[in-house]
Parts: sequence; structure tokens; C-alpha cells
Amino acid sequence: MRYRMMRQTSRKVGGKRNLIFIGTLLVLGLIVLLDIYLVDRILEPMGYFYLFFVAVAVLYGVYPLHANRRLTRYYWERTKRHRLSVLGLAFIILLVAVALIGPLLTQDPTRVNFDEKNVPPVGFTIQQSIYDLDTDKFLVREIPGTYQHPLGTDDKGRDLLAMLVSGARVSLQVGLLATLIAILIGTIMGVVSAYFGGWVDQVLMRFTDIMMTFPFFILLVFIIFIFGPSLVFIILVIGLTGWTGAARLVRSEALSLRTREFVMASRSLGASDARIVFRHLIPNVLSSVIVIATLSIPGVILAEAALSFIGLGDPTVTSWGMILNAGQRSLDTAWWVAVEPGILLFLTVLAFNFLGDGIRDAFDPRSQL
Amino acid sequence: MKRGGLQGYIIKRLIYAALIAFGVVTITFILLRLGPTSPADKYLANMSARTQDPAQVVTAVEARYGLDKPLYQQYGNYLINLARGDWGWSFSTSMPVIKLIQTHWVYSFQLILLSMLFAASLGLLIGVYSAIKQYTRIDYLATFFSFIGISIPNFWLGIMLILVFSVQLGWFKTYYDTGLPMFSLANLKALILPVITLGTGMMAGYTRYARSATLDNLGKDFVRTARAKGLPERVVIGKHVFRNAILPIITIIMFSLSGIVFGGAYLTEIIFGIPGLGRISFNAIFASDYPVVVTITLIGTLVVLLTNLATDIVYTWLDPRIRYD
Repeated sequence: MRYRMMRQTSRKVGGKRNLIFIGTLLVLGLIVLLDIYLVDRILEPMGYFYLFFVAVAVLYGVYPLHANRRLTRYYWERTKRHRLSVLGLAFIILLVAVALIGPLLTQDPTRVNFDEKNVPPVGFTIQQSIYDLDTDKFLVREIPGTYQHPLGTDDKGRDLLAMLVSGARVSLQVGLLATLIAILIGTIMGVVSAYFGGWVDQVLMRFTDIMMTFPFFILLVFIIFIFGPSLVFIILVIGLTGWTGAARLVRSEALSLRTREFVMASRSLGASDARIVFRHLIPNVLSSVIVIATLSIPGVILAEAALSFIGLGDPTVTSWGMILNAGQRSLDTAWWVAVEPGILLFLTVLAFNFLGDGIRDAFDPRSQL
Repeated sequence: MKRGGLQGYIIKRLIYAALIAFGVVTITFILLRLGPTSPADKYLANMSARTQDPAQVVTAVEARYGLDKPLYQQYGNYLINLARGDWGWSFSTSMPVIKLIQTHWVYSFQLILLSMLFAASLGLLIGVYSAIKQYTRIDYLATFFSFIGISIPNFWLGIMLILVFSVQLGWFKTYYDTGLPMFSLANLKALILPVITLGTGMMAGYTRYARSATLDNLGKDFVRTARAKGLPERVVIGKHVFRNAILPIITIIMFSLSGIVFGGAYLTEIIFGIPGLGRISFNAIFASDYPVVVTITLIGTLVVLLTNLATDIVYTWLDPRIRYD
């Protein structure tokens, strides 16, 4: 009975799914090629990332969870006991909703209006000295916050609410997509390295060592400096440089899995390398991978914010780091410009950290909750 | 062939570190050459703006950077120049890069050193204390604050510190005063906010590690033995628990240099206007001053490499149980 259940489960999650995924990748690759060689653009560069993200999320996130409803319920029960992680999850869902719908409802975050510069948030009033052309004097005027700009405006009169919503979108894009790329590379590197061992392992791990030696942020600054900033490129670079931790972790997990009885049994039954890797190793490291993915999202979001804070972000989109930069310049005239994006950044990072901790405890059968 | 003990191990580690350093230098070179604009282009833009005769400058620049030579020769020259300390000319500051770094590294060094001292001492203290008082209110408070400390973006923390303590309260200057003598109280005071900015995240991390490492050791048999012998708690904690707990913490502290400290110091210097290597590199980026950016990237990486190496060696010395083969 138990055996039958397990077999059903494994049939549900394995096999065809990888084929579908590889097929999706091929189709996406084809579209990219068409895009490069055809004159008219089919998709914005960001569109490919989204499709890729959705493919991975559905095939390796939603579908397995749906197929194993009992396990899903079990994990959810365990995660739920971590109050803070549920709170974190709620915040993240809210943020995703805001990032998806928000830009449609808010004003244009790039619209400059010098008549309404440095308006404080609702409930605050500041004194501003304004040069009056008629009397040739500086007038001190009280400026109250208005509901037209509930979170105030910056020194160019741009609406902060709109800017923050736009920033939320940028942060989530970078955080989720770059982490996805990094985790995929890290998982493949780790599993391949552990499974094949020998010189393959040596080469891959030495390369990982070299990549780990570069201080992550300084490497990031260096690459963006050379190649120039754009959001797609920043996502790619963070993804292509941030996989080292995942590779190490997955390798060590896969190493111990490789010698376990079920892998041996599978191999003695004549299973191919690919089958063992995709059917036995990857599904079994997946829970650690999910944990490390959740816990590395905050680092990625912070890295992007730091990049745009020092002026190496994509200049065409409004991100939290960019608002912070503007905020630091007007600290003595408009404190809220620096405070608001920072609070959001802080809460986002905190939410992902809480969620990651909760998931880690839920996935670790040894932990007593 | 079997080389003897610790010495052989150190030699092995040194060779390995040299290989990695070589890899790092090579990757940097490849990245530079892959870039859409060559260093000469940026140099050119800068030069022709002054001399207003680009044609003449092209050949001069190409010859100067050796860009007319084949790639393998460029790579060779690049390695040789690096080794000789000939790191190029910084045109935005009009001095050799090595001179620039010699005058500015000390600002980064003092910031990083003080922050690490601050973070390590406080982090260890809070971590060990909260482990001893596990599940008390103090422990929960420490855990809560360490969580906040880890999650708070350090550049935002810096800006908030400036906002509260410099702009609103006026206790500190909003900018670091470079005129202060290095070893003076005034300089120490000027560094308080930067050190808190850079140190808080690290401190929170160390607190968590120190707590869990202490908890691990508190449950060990030798601790029970020590207590059974009737040793005072002070000795049990100080000698038996702490000494064992400190090993993993030292590794964490040293390894955190690479990501957290260097990235953090870079940002902290920019926020507070401390003229260290981060700030220099930041200025150089906006002046497209290639040699400076390349050199500072390499220096940062090599320092990390050396500290990792030192950690490995110190580790074997601190823990005689480690086998070095």
C-alpha cells in the first residue's frame, strides 16, 4: 500500500516534467534567436525572464505541490507554526500584488513638477523657505502633506508613492529572477560535481573557489562598470555570479546522497546517469535548494539596491536604491525621501529572512516545532 | 611523497592560494577585454576633450596601453605590470595608481579594523551571554535584535544615523573630516557613525553564530564533567565552553570579510565621504578611470584570498585536533 503510494507520487513528479521543462527552454531559446535575427521585437528582454520564471515555478513549484497535496499540507502546517514566517509570507504576497497592480493605479513616477517639490507625507508639516520673485526675499512657508501625494514628493516633485511602487517591482524582479538563475546554476554545478566526481569535481570546485574569492559586491560593481547598467544585465550578472553558495551546499548534500542505498539500487537496476541525477539526486536536494533560494533573495535585493544607490543601477527605471540616493542628498530638507524606501527595503529583507527560516525548520524533519 | 605535517600543509595552501590569485587576475583581464568599450576608449574620451585632437591621441593611447599588440602579449604585459607594482596612471587624479592607493588605503583599513573589533567583541559577548541565558527574556531580546541587525540594509542604517545624529541632533558632522590626525580622539569620534553602520550587520551575524556555537558546546560531556568536578561556572564557561566555541566563530569572522565587510565598507565610505579605497573606486567609476577600478577590485579580492589563507593556518594552530593532510 505504502509502496504503491510512493510509486504514484514519483510518477506524478518525475519523468515528463523534465522533458516539458527542457522543451520550454528550447522554445524560449528559439524565440530569442528569432528575436535577435528578426527586425521586429517579439518580446521585451524582461519577457523572457518572466516566461522562464513562470515555467520553473509551475513545473517545479506549483505542480509538485499540487500533486503531493498531503506533503504540501504537512509542510504548510509546520511552516505555519512559525508565526513570523507566515507574517513574512503575507508581506511578500502583498508586495507582489502591489508590484503587479500598483503601477496601473499610481501616478507616473517619473513626472517632474517643481511646484510641488518636497511635499511631506500626510500628517506632517514642514517649513520651507522659498525665494519670492516679486518681493525679492526668502519667504518661510508652511507646507502640509496632501492626499494627492500621500507619501510626499522628492526634491523634483515626483510622487513618492508611485516611485516606491515602481521600486517594489524592480526589487522583486531582480530578487526573484536573479536568485532563480543563481540557484539553477548552483544546483546543476553541485549535482554534476558530486555525481561525477574526479576531475569534473576538481575543475568545477576550483572554479567555484575562484568565484567565491571575489568579494561579491565589488565584482558586481566591476562588471557593471565595464558593461554598463541595464536591469536585464544586472539580473543576469547577479545570477551568474551568485551561485557559489548554492553549488557548495548542493554538492555536499548530493555527495552524501550518492552513496545511499536507493541510489545504489537504482544504479544496479541499470538506471542511466541522467535518470539518477534527475530522478533521485535533484528531487532530494530540492528542499535545501528552496531554503537557500529564499534566504539568498534578500542579499540579491540589497545588492541591486546598493548598486542603484551608488548610481550604477538602470537609469531608466525607478528603484528603491535610486530614491535612497536622492534622499541622502536632501536629508536636511526632506527626510522622508530617505526614510520611506529604506523602511520598505528593510521590511522586504526581513520578510524573506523570516520566511526562509520558517521553511528551513519546516523542511528539516529533525527540528522540533 | 608525504611531506611533514603543518609545514607541508602550509606550503600546499600557499600554492593553492597562488593558483586562485592567478585565476582571479585572469578573469579580471578577460572581463576587461570582453567589455564593450576598451580602457583606451574611455581614456581617449578624456584625453581628446583636453587636447581636441583625437586622431593623434588614438595612436598614443594604443601604444601606451599596448593595445596594438596581440592579445597574449597584452595578457603577459598585464601580468608583468601587476607583479612589478606598475598599476597604471590614474588620469582623474593625475597620479600613479599605486601612489593613490598608498595614500588612501589607511582610511579603509581603520574603518574595517574598528568595525570588526566592534562587531566581534560585542557580537561574541551578546551571543555567549544569550546562550547561557537561553530561553530567558534577554535571550529573546538578543535574538530579535540580531534578526533586525541582519536584515537592516547597512547603507540605509548609515543614512538614518546621519539623519538623526548629524542633521537633527547635530552631534556629529555629516561628512568625515579628512583633516583630522589619524590617532586622535576627534578622529575616533568621527568614525563612530561609520563603524556602527558597517558593524551592526556583522555584529548581528556574529551574535547568532556565537549563540549557536556556545549552545552546541554547553551540551557536551566535557562540560558536564567540568561542572561535576565542581568548577566554578566562570571557569566552565570561560575555559571549556568559550574556547571550543570560538573556533567556528573565528572562521565566520574571517570569511565574512569577503562579502559583508568589503561590500559594506565600500558603501559606508561612500555615504560618509571617507576617502578610502571604496570611495576612490566610486569616484573613479564616474570618471571612467579604468586603472583605478581594476586595481581596487584586484586588491580587494587578493586581500580576501590572503585572509582566507591566514584563517586556514590560524585554524590549525588554534585547534590541534585538525589534521592537515
